[in-house]
Amino acid sequence: MKTENAKDIIVCDGVKKWFGDFQALKGVTTTVKEQEVVVIIGPSGSGKSTLIRCINRLEAHQEGSIIVDGIELTNDLRNIEKIRSEVGMVFQQFNLFPHLTVLDNITLAPLWVRKNPRADAEQVGMELLERVGIPEQAKKYPGQLSGGQQQRVAIARALAMKPKVMLFDEPTSALDPEMIKEVLDVMKELALSGMTMIVVTHEMGFAREVADRVLFFDYGTIVEDGTPEHFFTNPQHDRTKLFLSQIL
Amino acid sequence: MERENKAPDAAGDSAVSTRVHARPPIWRNISVIKWVAQLAALVAVLALFWLLGSEAAKNFSASGISFGWDWLSDPFGVNIREGIDVNPDSGARALVVGAVNTLRVAISGIFAATILGTVVGVARLSRNWIVNRLATVYIEIIRNIPLLVQIFFWSALTIGLSDLVEDDVGTHLFKASNKGFGLAWLFPSTGFWPWLLIVIVGLVAAKFVAAWRTRLMEETGKEAYSLTYAFGTVALFGLVGWFIHPILGFLSGVWDAIGDFIGGLPSSTVSVVIAAAGLLGAAWWIRQFFESRRTPAGFGKMTDDDIFRIVFAGLVGLGVALVGFALGGASIETPGGDVLTVAELIRNGFSNGFHWFADKFTGDSGGPISFSQANVEVRGAGFTQFGTDGIIITPPFFAVWVGVTLYTAAFIAEIVRGGILAVSKGQTEAAQAVGLKRSQYLRLIILPQAFRIILPPMGNQYLNLAKNTSLGLAVAFADIVAVGFTAINQTGQSLPVVLVWMAFFVTMSLIISGIVNYYNRKLKLVER
Repeated sequence: MKTENAKDIIVCDGVKKWFGDFQALKGVTTTVKEQEVVVIIGPSGSGKSTLIRCINRLEAHQEGSIIVDGIELTNDLRNIEKIRSEVGMVFQQFNLFPHLTVLDNITLAPLWVRKNPRADAEQVGMELLERVGIPEQAKKYPGQLSGGQQQRVAIARALAMKPKVMLFDEPTSALDPEMIKEVLDVMKELALSGMTMIVVTHEMGFAREVADRVLFFDYGTIVEDGTPEHFFTNPQHDRTKLFLSQIL
Repeated sequence: MERENKAPDAAGDSAVSTRVHARPPIWRNISVIKWVAQLAALVAVLALFWLLGSEAAKNFSASGISFGWDWLSDPFGVNIREGIDVNPDSGARALVVGAVNTLRVAISGIFAATILGTVVGVARLSRNWIVNRLATVYIEIIRNIPLLVQIFFWSALTIGLSDLVEDDVGTHLFKASNKGFGLAWLFPSTGFWPWLLIVIVGLVAAKFVAAWRTRLMEETGKEAYSLTYAFGTVALFGLVGWFIHPILGFLSGVWDAIGDFIGGLPSSTVSVVIAAAGLLGAAWWIRQFFESRRTPAGFGKMTDDDIFRIVFAGLVGLGVALVGFALGGASIETPGGDVLTVAELIRNGFSNGFHWFADKFTGDSGGPISFSQANVEVRGAGFTQFGTDGIIITPPFFAVWVGVTLYTAAFIAEIVRGGILAVSKGQTEAAQAVGLKRSQYLRLIILPQAFRIILPPMGNQYLNLAKNTSLGLAVAFADIVAVGFTAINQTGQSLPVVLVWMAFFVTMSLIISGIVNYYNRKLKLVER
């Protein structure tokens, strides 16, 4: 987790984003430091997913600036490709490649983007599968795995690029209750190992236990920004209090 | 499964048997119902065929037409406009010429329509507005006009071209006229077959070379260019073979010896081989079937359907074996007037095949491939015509080929577009998120998954194309339908000709769908 004097790795400054007439982000300004774990909470449609999708340019923001590891996200294709290879992403729907085996899913990007030798990529892939606890599934196809196992493969796939930042877009929302824990355990281990993480989630337990900082989003702006303790015990805004009273 | 269900504690409905392992009465037993239904269906189909056949035979004999196959071996007596033999000596030979014409237009059409359709389909998804609109206009025009009208259109276009005149006499790389299109082309020459043999050996060698380079790459982690090496190997064999192929001339004697050996075998060998193939094939299939039903706990329970399939496979194998022996007895009169059994005909066919092959290994030092340009010559007084060199695409062939290709490509384009769109957006996002470039994720992620979706409807389009070539009749293209029509006019044997047509198209369609299904199975996603 966060150490003192860590350097800024993601800097968002006045980020605005419209989908047609609908403004999803209304000027978001925040900074994420190295090894920090930031959990984003908020009602659906509040712009939390949009923000992390802007950070690796799956969506293009229209105003403001986003700087990742010293590189600004612009229309420059080279910057976008550089940032995407430094930022890992885990999706709600896993989005594994169904026509490739689990191991091929993981080694694909190291082989084609990093141009690593196959032997090295496979060794790293097996180590990552070991880390997420399913090395015995390496030769199977995604369709043969349970949802929790698929999401763990998706985490391993993102980690294979040795990213500096990991983004999680509601990683447990599509899972059965008993599978949520196995994915959260992997994420906790990752956080303890010092990975910089931004996690959009509804898992309050995870936020309380692992997060360095909680951001509460509503209507495209950050309403509350503080430590989990501050957020859960002493929220400053009425909107946050209402949200917490509804879910806790 | 159901049999193992525990009986409910309370006394159940009296109509439902609640005793463990209770055997249901016959009329409620699913196994019995299935078997009876399968057998009844088989009997009904056979009975229907027998009824139709005997009715047809009765009507034919009543109207004085004898239903027979003699016209297959009788002289055909009419020239065919184009094909491998424009002056066939028998009805069967004429039908073969027509069938080859059909296959030529169908196979070349399938390749052309696939390429064009894929290009147009991708163009339809292009972000370039002009490319996108052009593709849309093409699709909307082509698929909304009946194919027959389009074939007439292309035919009319070629008829509108200028005639060949005396100034055109000579050789041409390309010459368009109302007598067709003359094209320069590459043809196999004297040394072709020995050279081909060397190239095939090269292909096998390339496979080993590629495997070796791939292994090297995986061991060292360095790029080992396995594909480049494989192509290089084939090219090397082709190049060296170009010069050294005459030394394979000695194989001529080997092929002749094999031909003589087969020709000297008793004709019963053919029956034995066919019977053995039938029985072994059935045995192999049944074995495969058992293997596929094997579970870690041993062989699972066979369902009634499974047993039916095994019995059916056994019967088919037995049937093939019986047919094999029947061939030894059935005799046919050849166009030459000899009476031979079918088994002898088949044996002689193989024997002649090897002798034919032997003749191609002359040891002649001529090049394997020759380049030949289309030539225009004058026959008789002022009658200008294409000669025999190069490839001549006749106006009917052109009209049918362009017609079916453009028409089918429009449908293939929509299938390709649909297939690409059907791959979920999440796949693109996931591929982008790990840093793949657009060209990389299209090739590695999107297209492999789209291809899986595209293939089955694509197979349907191939079948449509192959069958639509029969519309060539309208522009006098000498396909199997046109040749068959001539045969009907000559002999009045309409039913046998129609049966030949149907057998031909069914066989062609089954082969096409067999190939498509094979790839479809190979590409299927593995799921639980």
